[in-house]
Amino acid sequence: MTATNDIRQTFFQECDELLEALNDGLSEIDDGIEDSSFDLETVNAVFRSVHSIKGGGAAFGLDALVRFSHQFETTLDEMRSGRLVPTIDVMKLCHRAADHLSDLVGAAQEEAEVDETAGADLIARMAALGAPPGTAPGEDSAATEPELSFEPLGLPIDLAFDPAPIGSRTIKVEFSATRQLYANGNDPTYLFRELSDLGNIIARSDDTDLPSLEDLVWDESYLGWTLTLETEKSLEEVREVFDFVEGLCHLDISEVDDFSNQVAQTQAIGVPDAPLRETPASPTEDKVPSQSYGSSTIVADQPKKAGGSSSKKSSVRVDLDLVDRLINIVGELVINQSVLAQCVDDAGLTERTELATSLNEFKNLARDIQEAVMSIQAQSVKPLFQRMARIVREASDIAGKTVRLETIGEATEVDKTVIERLVDPLTHMIRNSVDHGLEGADTRRAAGKPETGCITLSAAHRSGRVIIEISDDGAGINRPKVLDIAKSKGLVPRDAVLTDAEIDKLLFLPGFSTAREVTDLSGRGVGMDVVRSAIQKLGGRVNVMSSPGKGTTMSISLPLTLAVLDGMVVDVCGQTMVVPITAIIETLRPTKEDIHALGGQNLVVSVREKFVPIIDLGTVFGHRNEPGDVTDMVLLLIESDQQQNWALAVDRIYDQRQVVIKGLEGNYGRVPGVAAATILGDGKIALIIDPEETAEGARPVVPSSMMLDEV
Amino acid sequence: MSLKDNLSVLVVDDMSTSRGIIMMALEEIGIKKVDFRTDGTEALKMLSAQPVHLVISDYNMPGLDGLHLLKALRQNRTTQRIGFILVSGKIDQTIIDTGKALGMNNFIRKPFTTDQMRTCLQSVVGPL
Repeated sequence: MTATNDIRQTFFQECDELLEALNDGLSEIDDGIEDSSFDLETVNAVFRSVHSIKGGGAAFGLDALVRFSHQFETTLDEMRSGRLVPTIDVMKLCHRAADHLSDLVGAAQEEAEVDETAGADLIARMAALGAPPGTAPGEDSAATEPELSFEPLGLPIDLAFDPAPIGSRTIKVEFSATRQLYANGNDPTYLFRELSDLGNIIARSDDTDLPSLEDLVWDESYLGWTLTLETEKSLEEVREVFDFVEGLCHLDISEVDDFSNQVAQTQAIGVPDAPLRETPASPTEDKVPSQSYGSSTIVADQPKKAGGSSSKKSSVRVDLDLVDRLINIVGELVINQSVLAQCVDDAGLTERTELATSLNEFKNLARDIQEAVMSIQAQSVKPLFQRMARIVREASDIAGKTVRLETIGEATEVDKTVIERLVDPLTHMIRNSVDHGLEGADTRRAAGKPETGCITLSAAHRSGRVIIEISDDGAGINRPKVLDIAKSKGLVPRDAVLTDAEIDKLLFLPGFSTAREVTDLSGRGVGMDVVRSAIQKLGGRVNVMSSPGKGTTMSISLPLTLAVLDGMVVDVCGQTMVVPITAIIETLRPTKEDIHALGGQNLVVSVREKFVPIIDLGTVFGHRNEPGDVTDMVLLLIESDQQQNWALAVDRIYDQRQVVIKGLEGNYGRVPGVAAATILGDGKIALIIDPEETAEGARPVVPSSMMLDEV
Repeated sequence: MSLKDNLSVLVVDDMSTSRGIIMMALEEIGIKKVDFRTDGTEALKMLSAQPVHLVISDYNMPGLDGLHLLKALRQNRTTQRIGFILVSGKIDQTIIDTGKALGMNNFIRKPFTTDQMRTCLQSVVGPL
C-alpha cells in the first residue's frame, strides 16, 4: 500500500529531526553536568525523541530498533525521574546509544541487516545503570503488557447535531480614520476587504459627525465604522490588518462573547441603532459592498476552507530531483536572459526604450527567482556538525584521548549539495586533528594545558563565501619534521628554503604523510591532498595556519552555491573570461609611476605603499609570451584567504554580471587556473578563472621573501 | 445518514508519523470527517470554536499533553461533551485512572492495527 510507504518515508524523515533533537539535548545535558544546571525539560525532550522513534518503529515492525530504543528510553526515564544521575560516563554511554540508534534507523531505512552485538552490548551496559530490580518503571515490552482495567465510556452521538459550524469567535472593531490616514494614501475600504478575508464581516458606518455640505471640509475625515467580524482568527491576527495605519486612526478591537447574542450584546454596550444584521448574510448575495449615504454594509463570505486540512502546515517536503531540475531551468533562464539582452544590444536599442526597461525588469526577476530557488537548497550546517561530533567521539575513543568539540555558527546555511560533499573531507580533517593535531594527555599536562583537548568547528559567511574552520589547541605543525619528510620524499629540493606558510602547504602534497606509522584513524592511505582536491571540486580552497605549541587551524573557503556566481567579464587577448567578483577587492588603472620592475620580467604595482605582484592573465593562459604593456591594461586587485594580495592584469573590463556555472570537469577535464566555464549571451563559452590558483601557478617566479610588504 | 459519514473526529498528535497512522486507520475504517492538530493547545483553540464528536489524542506531547487536553476539554462548556480516546505507547494504570476520573471514553495502545482501532472506536460510538 503506497499510503503506508508514504508514512514510512515520513517516519524516516522525522527520525532525522528526532535524532538531531536527541543529540542536541544530550549535548545540552553535557554542558550542564558539572553544576547540574541542565533543564529537566531537556531530559524530557530527549526522552520524547527516543520514545517517538520507538513508537514509529513499532508501527512498522522494526524490531531491532524497538528493542534498542526501549532500553534507551528506560535509561532516559530513570534520568528523567532523578533515579539516574547523568555523570560523564553515563552521558558517554547515552551518546554512544544515540549514535547506535542513528545507525539502526539508517539500517532500517535501507532495510539492511544490523550487527546486533554492538547494540546488545550497549543494552547490557544501559541496563546495568538501571535502578535495582523491583523499582523498574511500570512499562515493559509490548508482549508482557499488563492487563489494565478500564471500561470504555460510550458516547451518545447525535448525528442531527453537526458540531462543525457553530460559534467561532466574534470580534468587534471600532475604527475611525484621521485625516492623515487618507493623506497617506490609505483607504479604509481596503482594510475592511482584508478583514473580510478573515471571516464573516458586517460593517456599519457612523456618520454622526458628518456636517452639512456647506460646512464640509473636503479633505477632513468624518466617518467612523463599527465592524463585527465572525472569525476563527485571534484578536492579534485581526489587529495585524491595521498594522500599517497604526497611529493614523482610532482603533478599538474587542472580542464579543457569542455571535448569536451579538445584537443584545451590542445594544448592551450602548451602540446606537438596533439590529446590526441589516443585510442578510447569505453567500449568494451580491458580494460587492453596497454603500448608501446613511449607513453602509459590507457582507463577505467566510473564506473557503481548504479540504478540511489544517492551515498550520508551514513546510512541504520536496523531492531533491525536483529542486535540481528547478535550479537547472532557472540557470537556463538566466542564460536566456543574457542572450536576450545581447540581442537587444545588437539591435541598437537604447537603454531608454520600453523593451530595454522591461528586459531589465526581467533580469531582476530572474535573479529573484534564482535566489529563491537557491534558498530552497540551502541547509544549515548543523546536521553536518553533529555528524562530526560523532566522529570526534569515535576518533578520541580509539586514540585514547579526551577531546571536547565546540561548534560555532551551526545555523550557517550552505547549499545542500555542498554540505553533502563536505562530509568526507571534514571527517578526514577531524580525524587528523584528533590523531595528529592534539597531543596525548601526558604531553598536554607537561605543556601546562588542560588534559582535555579541544577541537573547534566553526562556520561563517564571509564576503559571499562560506568559511569552515577546524581548529585544535594541540602542538601545532612540527615544521622541521614536515620539511625533513618532504625533502626525504623528494617533494622539495634538498636545499630548498621555505617560509612557514610554504612548509604548512606541503601537508597537502600528494603522497605526504607525517605519521611515522599508519595509525588506525587518519592514515588510511588517504592524505590531505585528497581532502584538498575534494574541496577544490566544490570550488573551494583549504588553508592551514599553525602556531607551535598553540594549535592548528584548517580553513575551508567555499562558494555559497555551485550554480551561479557574480562575475566580472573581462577581455584577455581577445578572449572573454570571467573573474569571480567576490575575489576582487578593487580595480585599478595604473600609471607608469605605479609600476616597478622586479628583476627580469616581474612587475609589481604599488598600491597604497605596498608592492603587489602583477600577474598577466594573457601570459598565464599562454595567449602571449611577453606580458603586455600594463599601463594600457586594467588591474584587478585580488586578496587571498591568507590576506596576500596580487593584481591580475586584463586588457579590458566588459561588465559585471551573474553567470551560470557549468562544470568543466565532467565534460572536459580539470584545467589549472580555471574554476569552471559559463555560457555568455552570444552563446559563446567563457572560462571562469580561479584567481587563487592562477596566482599560485604564476607565483614561483617571485622569490617568496620579496612577495609581500613594505617598500 | 450513516455514522461513518458524519462522525467528526479530530486527531491530535505532534508526530506526523503516528498521526499519519491514526488517520490512515480512520480512513480505512471509513470515517470521512477527520481533521488534525499538531499540539494540545492548538486543538483546544480549534475545538472551542468548532467542536467535533470525538478527539483521538496522543498522550505524550510537548506543551499540553493528552490528559491535560482532556481535562481542559471537560472544563469548557462547549467542549465538555466531546468524546475522548487516548493513544499512547506507554500506558499504565495511573494514566488510566487519571483518564477515567477525567471522563476519558477509551484508550488504545500503540502500535495498533486497524481492527483494534475499529474495536476501540465502536466501544465508544457504537457499531460502525
